[in-house]
Amino acid sequence: MTTPDFSDPENLTARERQALECLIKRLADDEFVLAERYTEWQVRAPTLESDLALANNAQDELGHARLWYDVLGDHGYTERELVYERDPAEFRHSTIVELPFEEGDWADAVLRSYLCDVAEELRLEALEASSSPKIANRVAKIQQEESYHREHAQNWLERLAEGEEGHERLQAALDRLFPHALTIFEPCAPPHGENANKTNETSDDEPRATGSDVEADIVDFGLRTATLEELGEEWLAIVVPYLESLDLDVPESGQTGDGEFEFEVTQEMLPDERGRDGIHTDAWVDLYDDFTHTYRELGRSEPTKIMETPE
Amino acid sequence: MSSNSPEPTETDATPCAYTEYRSADGDVAAELPATGADATGLESDVWDALYEIEDPEMPISIVDLGLIYGVSVAEGVATVDMTLTYSGCPAREMLTEEVEETAAAVEGVDDADLRLVWNPPWTVDLVTEQGKEDLREFGLSI
Repeated sequence: MTTPDFSDPENLTARERQALECLIKRLADDEFVLAERYTEWQVRAPTLESDLALANNAQDELGHARLWYDVLGDHGYTERELVYERDPAEFRHSTIVELPFEEGDWADAVLRSYLCDVAEELRLEALEASSSPKIANRVAKIQQEESYHREHAQNWLERLAEGEEGHERLQAALDRLFPHALTIFEPCAPPHGENANKTNETSDDEPRATGSDVEADIVDFGLRTATLEELGEEWLAIVVPYLESLDLDVPESGQTGDGEFEFEVTQEMLPDERGRDGIHTDAWVDLYDDFTHTYRELGRSEPTKIMETPE
Repeated sequence: MSSNSPEPTETDATPCAYTEYRSADGDVAAELPATGADATGLESDVWDALYEIEDPEMPISIVDLGLIYGVSVAEGVATVDMTLTYSGCPAREMLTEEVEETAAAVEGVDDADLRLVWNPPWTVDLVTEQGKEDLREFGLSI
């Protein structure tokens, strides 16, 4: 197969375009929704320094979401359509980014950040040589800004793990978050309408990803150079030993073989809602209502314009 | 072109952190930081106009800050390749609109097209010597 020419957005086949759009939604929706959750810590984090650090990380993630959404500008999408007017069931982020924080549970925020940041590092690496020049050219900027995130998370993880209460909270957060973190590597369902034609086994039209070729296309078209399975295995091979080094028990760590660091994400390890397939937790609907509230309330049609442009 | 001189002068030469690069869509190659020193005609006029735009937070020209990666004018349309220091820059729209309007207002230019580019990512190495002086005067250590 010859690699499609993604530098010319006008001349893509429907399938190539769908692969590109799915990949961008995976990337951008994760960043955007995680940022929405992080901002909940503003003026509530345990110290002023950590408050500023997390607020800054949130701003980074919003910037990255925007960089990714911009790629779809070539395909006629606007930020308004992609963020404020998209059907919440058409978001493709993993469920780990949408879960609410347990009230005041800083260990949750820190652990979640770590689990997401390791995954992000791996997937950015797999985009460095993307066949889409727009994607490839954004990677270095994002990597430049992401490098602090993991350092920040690990710093806090190590401090929390030393104390008894911190350790307990980390373990509780890990038990709760780990299955959702694995959904980062789940396949994406194509947009709802198109999927309905492909899976006719169920009548209730659930956008499960099964039967879709879009993830295979993403790799076959060279948009990303690693498969989801490869990324998931790499991620497990990093986070499992690290968390165990903090004396945490990783639930269903996916370790196979004996003594060898071989990992596999299996169906039993996953939660019911996987996000990528368009099935989200109830918390997502509430969060979506929250962040679109002002936009709807003010009857805006341009998210970045406060007033109508004077005639 | 006066860049073939074998002896670097101390007055205006800025060491280039990058040489050739692929732009957002792989269509232009340039040397960074770009300042338009070698530009002529309308392109030079656009550079001069862009020099007048200051960063919203610091008293430094956006050209000396290294945000402008390239300017070209063809058939009355100015194309400006520009980056931002930070992907989450809250002044993004303000700055890009100002750049577009400023370029389009140059006499002889009918319209301007701004392309936000991210590769290579901006770093302080892209600040010109003049820009570094301005920032030092402002109180930043660079």
